[in-house]
Amino acid sequence: MMKEIPDLLQGTLDLLILKALQLGPMHGFGISTLIRRMSKDVLQVEQGSLYPALYRLEDRGWIESEWGVSENNRKARFYKLTPAGRKQLVEERSNWDRLSTAVNLVLRTT
Amino acid sequence: MNWLPTLQRRLSALFHKQKLDARMDDEIRSHIDMQTQENIVAGMKPEEARYAALRQFGWVESLKETCRDQRGVGWIEDFGQDIRYGARMLYKYPGFTAIAILTLALGVGANTAIFSVVDAVLLRPLAYPDSGQLVWLCERGPDWSGGSISYPNFTDWRDQQSVFEKFGVYNGNNFTLTGAGEPIRLAGALMSADVFAALRTQPEIGRVFREDEDNPGAPPVAVISHALWQNRFGGQAGILNQTISLSGKAYTILGVMPAGFEFQNSDVWLPVGPYSAQSSWQKRDNHPGLFGLARLKPGVTLEKARVNLDVIAVRLEQQYPESNKTRGVQIDRLLDIQVGNVRRALWILFGAVSFVLVIACANVANLLLARAAAREKEMAVRGALGAGQWRMTRQLLAESGLLALLGAIVGLLFAKGALHVVAALAGESMPRAAEISLDLRVLLFSGLVAVVTGILFGLAPAWHARRADLQGTLKETARGTTSGRAGLRQGLVIAEVALTFVLLVGAGLLLLSFHRLLQVNPGFVADRVLTFQINFPGGKYQTAEQQILFCQALREKLRALPGVLAASLVSQNTIPLHEGGWDMRFLIEGRPEPPPHLQPSLQFHLIAPDYFRVMGIPLFQGRDFTEQDNREHLRGASSGDEWGAGLNSIIIDEEFAKRYWPNQNPLGQRVRIPWGERAKQPVVTIVGVVGRVKENRLSEQGGMVQAYFPMYQQPLGNMAVVVKTTSEPAAMLTTMRQQVSQLDPALPIFGISTMKEMRDHNVAPDRLNLALLGGFAVLALVLAAVGLYGLLSFTVTQRQREIGVRMALGAQRFEVLNLVVGQGMRLVFIGAFIGLLGSFAFTRVLTSVLFNVKPTDPLTFVTVTLSLCVVALLACYIPARRATKIDPMVALRYE
Repeated sequence: MMKEIPDLLQGTLDLLILKALQLGPMHGFGISTLIRRMSKDVLQVEQGSLYPALYRLEDRGWIESEWGVSENNRKARFYKLTPAGRKQLVEERSNWDRLSTAVNLVLRTT
Repeated sequence: MNWLPTLQRRLSALFHKQKLDARMDDEIRSHIDMQTQENIVAGMKPEEARYAALRQFGWVESLKETCRDQRGVGWIEDFGQDIRYGARMLYKYPGFTAIAILTLALGVGANTAIFSVVDAVLLRPLAYPDSGQLVWLCERGPDWSGGSISYPNFTDWRDQQSVFEKFGVYNGNNFTLTGAGEPIRLAGALMSADVFAALRTQPEIGRVFREDEDNPGAPPVAVISHALWQNRFGGQAGILNQTISLSGKAYTILGVMPAGFEFQNSDVWLPVGPYSAQSSWQKRDNHPGLFGLARLKPGVTLEKARVNLDVIAVRLEQQYPESNKTRGVQIDRLLDIQVGNVRRALWILFGAVSFVLVIACANVANLLLARAAAREKEMAVRGALGAGQWRMTRQLLAESGLLALLGAIVGLLFAKGALHVVAALAGESMPRAAEISLDLRVLLFSGLVAVVTGILFGLAPAWHARRADLQGTLKETARGTTSGRAGLRQGLVIAEVALTFVLLVGAGLLLLSFHRLLQVNPGFVADRVLTFQINFPGGKYQTAEQQILFCQALREKLRALPGVLAASLVSQNTIPLHEGGWDMRFLIEGRPEPPPHLQPSLQFHLIAPDYFRVMGIPLFQGRDFTEQDNREHLRGASSGDEWGAGLNSIIIDEEFAKRYWPNQNPLGQRVRIPWGERAKQPVVTIVGVVGRVKENRLSEQGGMVQAYFPMYQQPLGNMAVVVKTTSEPAAMLTTMRQQVSQLDPALPIFGISTMKEMRDHNVAPDRLNLALLGGFAVLALVLAAVGLYGLLSFTVTQRQREIGVRMALGAQRFEVLNLVVGQGMRLVFIGAFIGLLGSFAFTRVLTSVLFNVKPTDPLTFVTVTLSLCVVALLACYIPARRATKIDPMVALRYE
């Protein structure tokens, strides 16, 4: 089995979910699979974190959800970005860039 | 973040909890299915695949809980849970719950009832727009106030003042309404057009009178009340410009005031202007019952208005010393005038009833503390399982909040009942009584009281739960008590006793005062005396002779009735214990004549023969008036039509004789009434001396001397009939009514009352105060006794083992009794002592409502201490007796 990243930085999971949904509406299982694939199996989102995060994002109005049918003809809850969510993604993304640049700067200092 | 959609989502999360939980279940199931499917594709067997998927998912219930928290409404759900849990606890202990709710309901109910009275009578503005600017004016002297205003003074005040927007005068009057059903008496008021303008109330239909209709010689017009329009004119729309016949004169109806408009308890309002032309009204020393009503200009304070009017009054004093020497103006807010006499009593009652609430709270807090002791283990276990302290405090507060709420709801029902009692007791003595109701403001007040009480009595156990030592409690058996809690409980009982003591002293003082008031000799015998009133409607009874003939005929008819011992007719103000008075200056012939403002005054009464017999007023000297005290002596004289000219004799009261003829015989002395031109002033001879009666109030002391004049020499339009009967007088009313209508079917009789009712009515405010404060004191006593009893029962249960050991070691029954009773009585003595000190501080506020009783009356204090101790002893004895019944063996084996 693949390694789990134990504690994703606070807010990072939100960013990943928003990014995944930027590609189109998706159900919870799809989101976790997508994140895993996009990260080349490095990032494994635990269900115990995924669903609370989805509910939290929905509560803040960044994503919305409705029932739909999955590729395998199963009933599934599909999430999609709201306009507010798109704005949030841009913002979190620039935050992340700033943060990773900063962390890299620190690490490269010899 | 946009708050509106968030709020929407949260509300829907709150109200569609089930739907959302179902969604979560579905979603999780769908996720697990997909995972299972993928595992199968990866090569697992179906069962293994599902198991792996489930394992991957983790603890589903915990996940759901975490998801729910993401909705941001977790705390509300917790709150709902607290309430549900609290309700279950209350349901589980119905006895405890019932007692707590009943106790609170009594406290909240009594408070709500009194608050609704205080609110309606004292706090709410009068029912006129912007009524805070309305003021009331009258004349005052150096040592008196409340005098009516003379018309010339009014016009001078009005024309010279600069502080009022509108300023008018009015006087109360009675009219006989004819031509619209049965003739009835109507209360009415003559008033300036400016009074309506000052009150700022618009008529329902039509208009009020204009200033040009408020002048001498203007055509007669009237404004009527909504009730009169409905009851006597069938509410017909064409009422305007119809005529209404009042005391034989026709008035054109200009308008109808809206329902709920109240001024002077009147049904008709007529312009005062046309009356002002009478020569008597133009005299500056005549005070025809007028009082002033004005609206302050915006921004003008009462103080400023007083200064302005004082300057004018001083100017008038200098200008007209004959009539105005030492006469000033008094201005008060209209609200103060209407409710001033009950304000103090109401605040006292409100204070007293809040004591009752505090006692009730203390009792419930004690109950909760006792139960907290029993629940200590439950709390400790919950704490050990990880319940936060704040969460547990919240839980306890939710429970007490629920109790407070239920108590308040039941209390509101009590309050509704209590208000009926208050209304019945208050009768007409309470101003604005019609406005008292349980409205939204009162509900808000009760809600507030419930919240505050819930926190007050809930805080004590919650505080203790916070401090609870988990380990200790879990280890502890029934061996000992937590001393801190015992101290708090004892403190609560001491406080209850102290507050109860103060209330009991207050009630005791009022009781003594009321007793003394009832012992007062009113100066007359009230048994089997009936009175009613008649007003001549004018027209038929123009001259004095016509009126006297009617009076004589009526008296003869009434005297001749079987069962009637004596009958007489008097001026309406003669009836003892009535409102208001009729005072008149007098001079004693043969003595130096003081300047007008120093001339003494007497209370003026007109009576037909036999009045003293009817009333049982003793005749000390001389004789009563007879049929011969009539106008015969005027025959041939020219001045007979001048008011009062027919008078030639007077009967005085003992005080009159004592003050002006000490150690002399007053009979035959002559008294002059300085009324009008000197040559026409009546000079009367004293023919008798009678006992003194209470003029206005049973509690009055001192006051003006009283004088009686023969009605057959000077009749009056408004009079009262008094009849002494051999049996219950009310039964004879119908026959008497027939006698009147035989003489004149158009004469309504009104104001029917027995003298006993008059006396009862006179002490109604005192009775109301006593009943309410007494009721509160008894309530407090019962609550305190229950509190004491509860505390001791609890201690006896807790000390069961100890008592058992003592008894096993040979303690006598008496010693055990002593132990428990001693513990209780120690608290009572401390409480009573604090209460004693408190009483000296608090009862001083009662001074103004007490009659002939000092607020530190020692008898009351001793009686209260004794009765409190007796009740407390009883409350201690019951649990103490139970303690003596403890079987040492059982107590020792217990656990």
